[in-house]
Amino acid sequence: MSAESHDHHDDHHHVLPFWKKYLFSTDHKTIGIQYGLAAGAFLLFGFFLMIVMRWSIAYPHEPLPGYLSWIFTDGWKARWLDDGKVTGETYNMFGAMHGTIMVFLGVVPLGFAAFGNYVTPLQIGAPDMAFPKLNMASFWVYLAGGLIMCMSFFMESGAAKSGWTNYSPLAGYADRQIVNQFLAGQTQWLIGLVLLITSSLLGSVNFITTIIQLRAKGLTWMRLPFFVWAMLVTAFLLLLAFPPLEAAGIMQLMDRVTGSSFFMPSGLYSKSDGILDLSGSGSPLLFQHLFWFLGHPEVYVLLLPAIACVAEIIPANTRKPLWGYKPMVWAVIVLGFLSFIVWAHHMYLTGMGPVISTFFQTTTVLISVPSVILLTSMIISLWGGSIRFTMPMIWAAAFLPMFGIGGLTGLPLAFNLADLHLHDTYYVIGHFHYVVAPGILFGLFAGVYHWYPKMTGRFMDNTLGHLHFWPSLIAMNFLFFPMLTQGMAGFHRRWYNGGEGYIEKVDGGINVFGQTVAQNIHLNEVMTAAAMALAIFQLPFLVNMFVSYFWGKKVTSDNPWDATTLEWATPTPPGHGNFTFDIAVYRGPYEYSRPDHDKDYFPQWEEPKRSTTVEEPVIPAEVPAEEVSAEEGNKH
Amino acid sequence: MEIPFVVNARKDTGLFNSKVGIWLFLASEVTLFGGLFSGYLFLRLYADYPWPERALPVLPGLINTFVLIGSSVTVVFAWAALKMREWKKFQVYMAITLLCALLFMVLKGIEYNAKFNHQAVRITGGSPVEDFGILEGHVHYAKLDGDHLKDVPKEQKGDEGVFPANRLIFKASNLTFALKRPAHEAYVTAILDQLPEGGSIKLVDPYIVEGKTIVEAGEDLSVDALAKMEDAFLDARAHDSKIRTQFEKASWAWIRGEQGVTEMSTYVVETDLWKDRRAEDVKAYTPLMLGAAAEVAFKIEPPFNLVLDPDDSPPGLRSSEQIRLRDDTVVKGKMLDSPIIMAVDAIDFRHTAQRAEKEGIDPLEAIKTSWILTHEAAHHDDDTAEGHKSEDHRNELKKAWDCHSAWLKYETERLAEDGRVPTTNDKYRVNWDQMLAYKKLDYDEEAVYNASKDGSLYSTHLFDLGGFAGANHNKHHFPHVEIPRDKVGFESSFTPKWSTYYAIYFTITGLHGLHVIGGALVLGYYLFFGRKMYESNPEWLANRVEVGGLFWHFVDLVWIFLFPILYLM
Repeated sequence: MSAESHDHHDDHHHVLPFWKKYLFSTDHKTIGIQYGLAAGAFLLFGFFLMIVMRWSIAYPHEPLPGYLSWIFTDGWKARWLDDGKVTGETYNMFGAMHGTIMVFLGVVPLGFAAFGNYVTPLQIGAPDMAFPKLNMASFWVYLAGGLIMCMSFFMESGAAKSGWTNYSPLAGYADRQIVNQFLAGQTQWLIGLVLLITSSLLGSVNFITTIIQLRAKGLTWMRLPFFVWAMLVTAFLLLLAFPPLEAAGIMQLMDRVTGSSFFMPSGLYSKSDGILDLSGSGSPLLFQHLFWFLGHPEVYVLLLPAIACVAEIIPANTRKPLWGYKPMVWAVIVLGFLSFIVWAHHMYLTGMGPVISTFFQTTTVLISVPSVILLTSMIISLWGGSIRFTMPMIWAAAFLPMFGIGGLTGLPLAFNLADLHLHDTYYVIGHFHYVVAPGILFGLFAGVYHWYPKMTGRFMDNTLGHLHFWPSLIAMNFLFFPMLTQGMAGFHRRWYNGGEGYIEKVDGGINVFGQTVAQNIHLNEVMTAAAMALAIFQLPFLVNMFVSYFWGKKVTSDNPWDATTLEWATPTPPGHGNFTFDIAVYRGPYEYSRPDHDKDYFPQWEEPKRSTTVEEPVIPAEVPAEEVSAEEGNKH
Repeated sequence: MEIPFVVNARKDTGLFNSKVGIWLFLASEVTLFGGLFSGYLFLRLYADYPWPERALPVLPGLINTFVLIGSSVTVVFAWAALKMREWKKFQVYMAITLLCALLFMVLKGIEYNAKFNHQAVRITGGSPVEDFGILEGHVHYAKLDGDHLKDVPKEQKGDEGVFPANRLIFKASNLTFALKRPAHEAYVTAILDQLPEGGSIKLVDPYIVEGKTIVEAGEDLSVDALAKMEDAFLDARAHDSKIRTQFEKASWAWIRGEQGVTEMSTYVVETDLWKDRRAEDVKAYTPLMLGAAAEVAFKIEPPFNLVLDPDDSPPGLRSSEQIRLRDDTVVKGKMLDSPIIMAVDAIDFRHTAQRAEKEGIDPLEAIKTSWILTHEAAHHDDDTAEGHKSEDHRNELKKAWDCHSAWLKYETERLAEDGRVPTTNDKYRVNWDQMLAYKKLDYDEEAVYNASKDGSLYSTHLFDLGGFAGANHNKHHFPHVEIPRDKVGFESSFTPKWSTYYAIYFTITGLHGLHVIGGALVLGYYLFFGRKMYESNPEWLANRVEVGGLFWHFVDLVWIFLFPILYLM
């Protein structure tokens, strides 16, 4: 601790006004919760958009039922629905915003910003983030960006409708009829995106600085919980991969607002406007490169926080150390590096050329190695453990096979020959939804159930938890598995009517593709029903979150799961400044079931009881932590 | 609670927090500008037009380079002064740094301003390569004289009825507004503003919804009246759509429930059962529909000449009888001659040459047929050329081009001595200083050749500060050209719209300029509000200045890359 810190011990006794304590708070825990709640709201909104889309896919000729359309005004319905039915334009708008909201406003803020903010400083024994005000700014910039994007639903132009990837020239042309471009959904999307990137930039600088600078004494790099390692790598991905997308966003914004042609090729023609009044000579491929330079690392930004949560929950509930902690750390670092050089596997069909495709195919196959190391280590961690099937553990256990399906279905897409067939089909959708929904979201649910007692001092209810878990697991699979089937049958991912236009209506007709479509199209109704069931069974979770806060079973200790990492050394819930004693770390993060210790867990902060305790040095903060009881940390 | 390592470094990392933070931030800045620089490379390598090389005035960029380097030095001195606890010295050095930032932005502003006021027109049509000759210059000001444009001196540009001579002139007799979308208010007010005294724009038919007259026939056009009709239309549309939705839902319920056709997929709607039911629906709900008109027409009495910015009705939306504005308002009437009148300070045939070479045509042959060289000299061509009119039928641009050929002849000979050849820039572009030099010699080709030889051609302009950021139209007189609208292929001032080169130039330098402003604000905050912290915790202030200084170095470094890439290459 620096010299100044000793003069301010009475800081804990400040009573902050409400707005400072809960609204414009600089406390990492409040900000984490703010992120979590905001991201949760965005996730629900994104899910709602999806259900409207799924209705249109399964029942394209039937008006939206009242339980989906009550939220819209009559005027909005007249503008965007065709007598109650979803139009292609509306479907595109919802589709683009579903992707955007889920990725940029939902999962990343929930995984990285919410869990990262709440847990990381606690796990490294820090009083707060390194830059608390920056942390607050980061949240509010994020919220502003998100709201700006979503407000465009109420504009004449509607929200962005060129896919969540916002490819030019389509994205550069859409909404061009709006005279004041700042009132066009496509432009609002870009402004929102630039704000979101700014927010994640502030966040990632903060995370990395915090992890490098504010580790407690004795907390050496190899004693960091895996969670912290994952957050560190995630922060580096955000830091270095997002700015090129910001560059692309700025260029696309210029295209829209100043009429430039960064991404608009020469000779663009539209039916209503003729040859567009542009200089041309821009490069649509440039946008895709810049987008996917972020886009692929972004996948790991989504994934790593979920793996991080699961990696904490498994040791605590199997009562044994995380298997292969060190290989996992190296794997996550290698994963981080490799994720920067695989991006163009999203672009095999753009005509980049076979040499470039081959390069990216190779790196893409390479990156599966560290991913498999991570997943395998966690599976092996279960081996021989005395597993406690607590609520978080159930979610974490389901994460493993579900994410496994998601990962393995990605392999065919890595090879450009197979990708020729599968590109832009529902197979791709099925693949990445398996990664994101039953994979990442399950991991994050596990995290919520795991840290909820620390945040509130009460457990979440088990019955409601089971009522949430099992139906969700079943519904997820009924929702996403048929997508793989349909995708292999050639269903295109952007059909707003589920492929109705392609059905061969004559029995035994010669249109083979039409026959295939006819055979698989009824899966649409299965998936739509599953999506609705999934929505219904999120209610127990929402109720649980709320009810448990007031009436849940109280925790009896600060360490209710008998876990080993530092966040469980704080009071429950932790106050401003987190720790009530000077924290020091004496051993690795997962010291469970040590034969030389009477309890089956040995927390990182517990002073070793040895006959030689007298010699335990008083550790000054600045001493490189390895020197301190290094033999302790390496025992397992 | 206090965050550790804000002031003093952590021993094992050797750094205080904000230093770690700024290095990380700069790393992300590197990838941000890296994205833009790779954009530059992509655009340049794959450009399908001649990339403008060395198109910017070097002097302001060069001065700016040294200004920024200087400020990077003084910001270090300011930090060192703080470390030595010399407040006064800190103030002086920091103030110099800020003045450098100011000077940088002023020069940048002068450069930008010159670009914004500089027009380019790409000519189209006629020649085998669709012309693609480019004229650069300043747009004149004009006012309407009956149905024609009348050139007016620049000094009158603020006067009523005076506008830049690159507008569309359209004799408007009818206006139709689409009620589905709100009319762009600025368009409506602009049209009303231009309506001459005694003229009127009146609604043709009354706007009636559900038997209720919303706006009477003959009512004058106003933003309010339009808004009233838009509201009524949107309400009626919502009402109709709601009823039709209810009917459709009822039909689905009937076919699924009462008829028990549960297996009937929603994909299959062509069955007779369904079709009959829907036909009945239509019969039943048609009387309930309000069916408000989606368009309203106004008559303009008497028709008047509307002056429009071409951007408000891009070429694809206009014809000789009607123009559609971007908000879907349709103006009917007659397009009048809407030439672009400008003083030309450069002629550029590089694009023509590039296209000709691609087609296998001799570039000079293609250039010869360009409208730029073949059009007839305008009647009211500028006075100085008046004397030559009778014996010389060439237009002034052609004269300049012929002189350029004479200059090129000498230049080719000169370069050949060293075994070199002229660049495409030399061959196909007449720059503003060349335009002036040729004119000064009365477009006498022989004189140009001789002057080139004895090196006196542009000696007078070498240190002409009037041309600091490009051609100075206040000081010099340039040939005057009237370009008919149908010859205009693409036109823009030198903004991001003109080409991808200017797009990337403005984007990178603009973003860099924002960095300069942001950095200056932060450093200025330390200078003007740092005293209190200096007294309580000078080391902390020194840390902040160090971090700000690191950022400032980065901003400088970006410019050191930008200057050669944009100005010299």
